Amino acid sequence: MDNIRLLLVDDETDFRAPLKKRLQKRGFAILEAGNGDECQAVMEDTPVDVVVLDVKMPGMSGIEVLEWIKDNHQKTEVILLTGHSSASDGVEGIKQGAFDYLTKPVEFDHLVQKIGQAVEKSRRDAEKQQEAAFKAKMEQQMISTERLASLGTLSTGIAHEIDNPLAIIKESAEYMRLLLGKAEHADMPRKSDFENAVGKIETAIERAKRITHQLLGFVRKPETFFAETDLKVLVAETVEFAVKEAENKGIQIVQDMAGVNGIIWSDPYEIRQVLFNLLTNAIAAIGSDGTITVSLKDTDSRTMLIVEDTGEGIPKENLEKIFEPFFTTKPPGMGTGLGLYVICGIIERLGGKIDIASRVGKGTRFQVTLPRSRETCGDMGDNKDICVDILNKIKGDPAK
Amino acid sequence: MIRIPAKVLIVDDEKDFVEMFSLRLKETGEKVFTAHSGQECLEKLAQERIDVVVLDIKMPGMDGVETLKEIKKRYPIVEVILLTGHGAIETAVEGMKLGAYDYLLKPADATEMAKKLEGARKRKDEHEERIRMAEQKSLLRRGGNI
Repeated sequence: MDNIRLLLVDDETDFRAPLKKRLQKRGFAILEAGNGDECQAVMEDTPVDVVVLDVKMPGMSGIEVLEWIKDNHQKTEVILLTGHSSASDGVEGIKQGAFDYLTKPVEFDHLVQKIGQAVEKSRRDAEKQQEAAFKAKMEQQMISTERLASLGTLSTGIAHEIDNPLAIIKESAEYMRLLLGKAEHADMPRKSDFENAVGKIETAIERAKRITHQLLGFVRKPETFFAETDLKVLVAETVEFAVKEAENKGIQIVQDMAGVNGIIWSDPYEIRQVLFNLLTNAIAAIGSDGTITVSLKDTDSRTMLIVEDTGEGIPKENLEKIFEPFFTTKPPGMGTGLGLYVICGIIERLGGKIDIASRVGKGTRFQVTLPRSRETCGDMGDNKDICVDILNKIKGDPAK
Repeated sequence: MIRIPAKVLIVDDEKDFVEMFSLRLKETGEKVFTAHSGQECLEKLAQERIDVVVLDIKMPGMDGVETLKEIKKRYPIVEVILLTGHGAIETAVEGMKLGAYDYLLKPADATEMAKKLEGARKRKDEHEERIRMAEQKSLLRRGGNI
């Protein structure tokens, strides 16, 4: 009976004091309260597992206190102590959610046994709740994965289909452009209007083309090429590409790769694309003046690539959507909303995963976890792994 | 200098595409023929001395790769430029291994298309030139002048 916190609520100190002593000897941690108000104050301060509550008290009655406990501290179990002649109070209490009731005078061993049972019940409830939360989380994760997958299939299909009419529009526009340039049309009425209109068509075609090509870049390529990849070199090289744009905007890119081996078995070209996209995003998120930190970290069998920026951050309501195709906060024509979607596809292909943490006004952190060796490549995407992960998170944090 | 027009055969099942593309090419001075299927492509090749075929890979019936194989078997000297969707670059690579001159992603850029057409045509001219030289040599040899 270690680590169990008991709260004794009784207005009679003569009853409370000896009971406290005897219970302490059994290993319970005991808190005391002389009335309902004190009971509330104690519980606001320290969560307790079981409350042993006298029904008949001046001020707030035991039943009232019970109601308050059940409203505010659902997980706490309550054992009622009733007078010998008032078993009806006990029954009323159980209806209100008490674990059980005992009549005074209380037989000590009986009380200890009841406390044990109450604790047991509270543990079972907590486990059930964890299980339910875990299940809900898994289901949500599966739904979003499926959603992404079907969105992907749909949008790549559309992209393929759109490329054909787009080719016709492009040919037509180019034909018109060619005709407009001919000598015979030198004096054509309102020629500049026509040229302007053709120009708009051409720009729009380029825009649509960018979208379809990016989308199709997400399609699983059979030629993913795994090789020994030195992430340190790769990061340094990729940062080189972005450094000029960053400097122009007063953004500093810091690399933190000290003490990391950085050699992994993966596809260097794909990782380069991921990192480049993340850097481009980070620069966009900062706008001007800030810092981007690119760091590598080793865990047992994986290496983490982390890109952190001091940018505007992503509002909570957007966090769930950022990996969806076409989600963008940029004005029309400026962003396709496909960058992170493509990254997501690549990382999945490489057997890794991507995590994100962001605070509005503070910045965003993308963490890409990649398997280091061939052997660990396969099990990263494994459902079992996710389950264990989530379970650990739930169990590792008993305060919640 | 007068440019001798190239004879280009455009093969695509998208009729509107073929129409606009051929109009534009004609306007730039090429001699253009069209076909809407692999079968029709082979028929046209039998009728005309074509320099370059612009061939869409994705067609119903006889697809681009099959058509390409057949073209290369019957007219090894004719150059072929493949048109492919973005997701099918592997097919384009396969096509080039089978003897295609090059490929372009749809929707293709006009200047790029012009460049590739020019290149394909040049390659065919040079190829023909070498054949002519070889023929001359063999004729000379037969004549006993060497």
